[in-house]
Amino acid sequence: MSAVIELDNLEVKLGNRTILDRLQGSLSGRCIGLLGPNGSGKSTLINTLLGFYPPSSGSVRIFGESVQQSSRRLRALIGYMPESDAFIADMSGVRFVRYMAEISGLPKEEAMERAHEAFFYVGLGEVRYRKVGTYSLGMKQLVKLAQALAHGPRLLLLDEPTNGLDPQARQRMLQLVRDIRDTHDVHIVISSHLLRDIEECCDQVLILKQGRVAALSNLEDERKANLKFVELEISQANGFVDAVERLGCECAAFAGGRLKIVLPENVEIRQIYRLAAEHTVQIRRMNYRRDSLEDIFLKAMEGVPAAPAMRMDASGRL
Amino acid sequence: MAVYKRTYKTYTGALTPDWSRFTVLSRYTFSTLFDSRLFTAYSVACMIPVLAGIAFIYFIHSTTAQALLGMNASRNPNILVDGNWFLNFFQIETIMAFILAAWAVPGMMSRDFANQALQLYLSRPLSRTEYLLGKISVLAVLLSAITWIPGLVLFSLQAELEGHGWGFENLWLSGSIVIAGLLWIALISLLFMAISVWVKWRIAATALMLAIFFVLPGFGVAANAILRTTWGKLIDLPYLMSVIWVHLFRGNRQFRHMAQLDLVPLWADWTVLLGVCLISLLLLNRRLRAKEVERG
Repeated sequence: MSAVIELDNLEVKLGNRTILDRLQGSLSGRCIGLLGPNGSGKSTLINTLLGFYPPSSGSVRIFGESVQQSSRRLRALIGYMPESDAFIADMSGVRFVRYMAEISGLPKEEAMERAHEAFFYVGLGEVRYRKVGTYSLGMKQLVKLAQALAHGPRLLLLDEPTNGLDPQARQRMLQLVRDIRDTHDVHIVISSHLLRDIEECCDQVLILKQGRVAALSNLEDERKANLKFVELEISQANGFVDAVERLGCECAAFAGGRLKIVLPENVEIRQIYRLAAEHTVQIRRMNYRRDSLEDIFLKAMEGVPAAPAMRMDASGRL
Repeated sequence: MAVYKRTYKTYTGALTPDWSRFTVLSRYTFSTLFDSRLFTAYSVACMIPVLAGIAFIYFIHSTTAQALLGMNASRNPNILVDGNWFLNFFQIETIMAFILAAWAVPGMMSRDFANQALQLYLSRPLSRTEYLLGKISVLAVLLSAITWIPGLVLFSLQAELEGHGWGFENLWLSGSIVIAGLLWIALISLLFMAISVWVKWRIAATALMLAIFFVLPGFGVAANAILRTTWGKLIDLPYLMSVIWVHLFRGNRQFRHMAQLDLVPLWADWTVLLGVCLISLLLLNRRLRAKEVERG
C-alpha cells in the first residue's frame, strides 16, 4: 500500500520549545493510530499535517504531496475533528455542517444533502435542527465528526475523538470509526492516549514520546503473530494434547484443564477446533493474546528516556 | 453517503471555484445578520436620510412642489446643495453606519472565536486572508450601501436636476464622497473586527468600541488641559475623521467650529487614522490563527 503520510526528519518548534523532534517514518495503514502520553506531540503532529504549524526543518508529505507546498489542495482532501470544542453555538446542527461543507467546496445543494446524510450517519438525525450550543458533550463530539465527514474527505484526522464520552458513547464513536475505515474509501488518523481506542480501530500505530518516534508498528502483523499463542481451557484431555503436539504445536498442560499452545506458522486455529471435535473435547475458554499494543507500547516507553510518572490504569489510560 | 445505506462515501462531484470560497462566509454572515428583525428594521431605517436627501433635492428643483408648500427656494440663499450639504448628509449617515457596524461586527466575529470554530475554517481550503475578506466584505457592502453609494446617488440626482454643468464643476465632490466613505468603512471595520477577535465576549467588545469613540476623546481633552497642548486630540478619532471630511468636502470655516479643526496638522490626522487601520490589521493577523501558540 502506498504511503499516506511520510515524515522526513520533521521538526516543529513552537517558541523556543522543540515539540516534534526529527520524526521519521512512513504511515500507510487504513487506520493509523497516534499514541502517546499527554504532551508527547500527537496534536502538534496533526496540526502540522493541516499546515497550522510550519516545520522548522524536515518535511511531511500526505498522499505524496508536500504539506508546505500543497497545503490548500491537501486540506480539500482532509476532514478534521479537533480535540477541543469547535462549533458555532447559535447555528442549527445541520446548517453548521452544511456551512462547513460549502467552505470545503461543495455546491449548495450537495452540501445540504450531505449535511443531512452525515447527521443521520453519526446518529443525530433527530436533533439536526437544534442549535449546536444546546447539544450534550457526546452530541458535540458527533457533530464534529459529521462536519469532518460531510465533504467526503480522503483522509480523516481525528484528535482524541472519544474524549469526555461515557462508555456507551465511546463505543458508538469507535464503531463509527470502524465503519468508516471498513468502507476503504478513506484513511483515518486517530490521535489518542487510550490504548484501547487505538487497538480497537487501527491497523498501524505511531507511538510518540516527548516529541520523538518511540515506535512505529503494524498492528495487523502483530495481531497475526499473536494469534499463534493460544490459551485453552478444556473439559478433559482424551488424547487431545498428543494430537495437538502431533500437529507440530508446542503444548503445555496445567491443572484445571488449562493448556497453553504455540502454533507453528503452517497451523491454523481451525485445525485445533477440528481436533477438539474429533476427540470430543469441549473447549470451555479460548484466549488469544490481546495485549499486543500494550506490549509494544511498554517496550517503546522503555526504549526512550521516560517521564517519571507514566503509568496505565485498568482502562488503558496513560 | 446515502441515508438508506448508512455507509460513508467520499465526495467525487464538482467543486465550487477556489476563488469563490470566501463568498460562502459572506452569504452565511448576511443571512445570520438579517435573521434578526431588529437589525433588518435598523438597516431599512438607515435609508431614511437618503430618502430625505432625495426629497430635498427634488423639492428645491421642483417649482410645483415649492408652490404647493408656498415656498421659493431660489430666494433663500441657505437652501443650497454644495459641499457643506453633502458633508452634513455624510455625517448623519456615518453615525448610522457606526451604530450598524457596532451592532453587526461583535456578533459575526465572536461566534467563530467563542467556541474555537476558526480551526474548522482554516482546516479547509480557506486562507486567513479569505476568512477576513469574507467577513469584511459583508461590512463593506452594508456600510457602502448607507454611506458613499447613496452619496453618489444624491450627487447624480443633483447634477441631473441642476444641469448647467453643475456635475462637471463639482466632480471633485464625487471623489470626496467615495474617499471619505471608504476611509470611514476601513477604519470602523478593521478596528471593530480587531476588538471583536481579542475581546471574545460580545457585550464587552461593543462596550470597548463605544469607549474608544466616546470615552477616549475625554482623556484627550484632559491631556490637553493638563499638558497645555493640543496633541491630545490625536486620540479623538471622531474629531480626526471630521477634520479630514471637512477638508475633503471643502467645508466652510463656519462649519462645526472650524476654529477647532486646526488643532493638529492634517498630516497627523491622516497618519493616526491610517496607523489605527494598520494596527488593527496587525492585531487581526496575530489573532486569526487556527491554533494559539504558547511561547515558552
